[in-house]
Amino acid sequence: MGSFHAVFARPEQARTALARLASDGVSSDDIEMRSSAPLDHHLLPHGASVSSRVPWHALIGGILGGIAFFSMVKFTSEAYPLPTGGMPIVPLPTSGIITFEGMAIGAILMTVGTVLFECGLPGLRSVAGPLDHHLADDHVLITVQCGEDASTVWADGALETARS
Amino acid sequence: MASVATAAAEAAESRESEQVLVRPVTTFRPKLLLGSLLAGGVMGLLFYSWGYQIVNDIGVAGISRPNFWGFYIVNFVFWIGISHAGTLISAILRVTQAEWRRPVTRCAEAITTFALMIGGLFPLIHLGRPWVFWYMVPLPTSRGIWPNFRSPLMWDIMAISTYLLGSMLYLFLPMIPDMAILRDKTMKDAPGSLRTLFFRVLAMGWRGTPQQWHSLEAGIKAMAVIIIPVAISVHTIVSWDFAMAIQPMWHSAIFGPYFVVGAIYSGIAVLMVAMYLLRRGMGIGEYLSDKVFNNLGLLFLAFAMMWSYFTFAEHLTVWYGSEHAEMAVFNLRLYGPAAWVFWTMIVTNVVIPLLILPFPKGRSPLGTAIVGLGVLVGMWIERYLIVVNTLSLPRLDFTVGSYSPSWTELGILVGSAGMFVFLYFTFVQLIPIVSIWEVREGEHIRDHKAQTIIAGEEA
Repeated sequence: MGSFHAVFARPEQARTALARLASDGVSSDDIEMRSSAPLDHHLLPHGASVSSRVPWHALIGGILGGIAFFSMVKFTSEAYPLPTGGMPIVPLPTSGIITFEGMAIGAILMTVGTVLFECGLPGLRSVAGPLDHHLADDHVLITVQCGEDASTVWADGALETARS
Repeated sequence: MASVATAAAEAAESRESEQVLVRPVTTFRPKLLLGSLLAGGVMGLLFYSWGYQIVNDIGVAGISRPNFWGFYIVNFVFWIGISHAGTLISAILRVTQAEWRRPVTRCAEAITTFALMIGGLFPLIHLGRPWVFWYMVPLPTSRGIWPNFRSPLMWDIMAISTYLLGSMLYLFLPMIPDMAILRDKTMKDAPGSLRTLFFRVLAMGWRGTPQQWHSLEAGIKAMAVIIIPVAISVHTIVSWDFAMAIQPMWHSAIFGPYFVVGAIYSGIAVLMVAMYLLRRGMGIGEYLSDKVFNNLGLLFLAFAMMWSYFTFAEHLTVWYGSEHAEMAVFNLRLYGPAAWVFWTMIVTNVVIPLLILPFPKGRSPLGTAIVGLGVLVGMWIERYLIVVNTLSLPRLDFTVGSYSPSWTELGILVGSAGMFVFLYFTFVQLIPIVSIWEVREGEHIRDHKAQTIIAGEEA
């Protein structure tokens, strides 16, 4: 399996190249677009889509964290009862504060965990490509997977279209 | 086509100007290193004084009955307040999608993380025997005693730990793409260097695909929403350390919001000073522009007014109630032998900001930095007055007493400031202090908007 790399100075050029690749019938699964800053969300290989479950996972993490911390306060305070002078051992207002912090910890950890998972980080096997240094200059990099003996006529065409 | 060519030329220019952000972390800068070393020397005072206290016991500090808290808790509240500079302000600006936030967020978030680290040291220092800290951690122990979750001091531990964890991750997540930019840059220039390895490790294999950007942005947005209530809870809980006690001028229902406003006020103050020094020292005026100072100056003014209002309300209700124990502390603060300290605070926190900040010229980088320095002094005094005045004249007046700090406490105070500067200087040499990818994103958005407008006009 070989690959074809192209560097574009501006996002608009990458958009034109992607459109040409799509019209040439190149599957979005074979195209990887990379940039050093988030681009317009409509700038994706034709047929590709992005999605994230971060908001839902944060919510679930918050609920689980809250339950975990409230349980810790309730069950441990009952297991090790301190003298409270007739006041409740597990008062809701004060337990609520700990529960709130637990919700925050749960939501934070789930958010970060989900981001790392969805981004495939840490990518220990990630290998630098031959043109990666162009990313540092804010260029857009498009890589197309193709067969070793595949003609690159279509790729040249895409590049020409983008340059014009 | 002319517009596109202009956009391309501007993009090339901005890559050139970006060098000012990249250079401090990719090249050796003797002045920055010297700054780190000097600040590190001052930081040494903290550890020397703390070590001296550990060896000779807590008696070397000036705290004594009834002033059990003294400088250590003053410093604790002060540094936790400073920590509200970054994560909270950055989160509010992100949630409201303020475009001018882009150069500010990282230098603000770093302040939070370092201030929290330093603030978190003070309860340990105040313990006298820091190795028994684990008694406060909910670990199953053979002591048969469990932390008292009904105590505000335990709420402190939970809230500050949560805020520190959240702030560190909130600082780290948006740093990953910048580490990748620096990795790609240094891989070309110096592939085998230690610096390249450092950037590679922190970039964690980031590639910059659309899915990665989408997930990262969703994560940053979610973190911003989560961190705002956490930050508010932190200083509210710190205020409850005082307000839950039936002590004069502590037992107040408005202490929570009063402390939160004061924390953000002191946070903005340190941010203004830090931004001014970064702008001067690193020549990043293009990023930390006059507009950024003006906008933050307006926020600064709003908080100056809010803090003045809360301070007035707090003192008015005490004076109007005229309750004996409360009035004793009130009179000590306003008319006692150290009343000049209170009036200095009023001058630095109310008079000077309200005289300078309403005017556009006052919201210049230098103007806001001068006001910021004054507010920092004033907010430290505020914490001192709250802690020491009330403890000197508690409700049960058979235990009245005065307080003066020992050289150990002074050394720790000065050393903590040195530690903050040391951490910040060191951070600036390792990580770009302005988020490169966020600035680039802003440029893309501007270019895209400009092209859409031109395309519309041509149509």
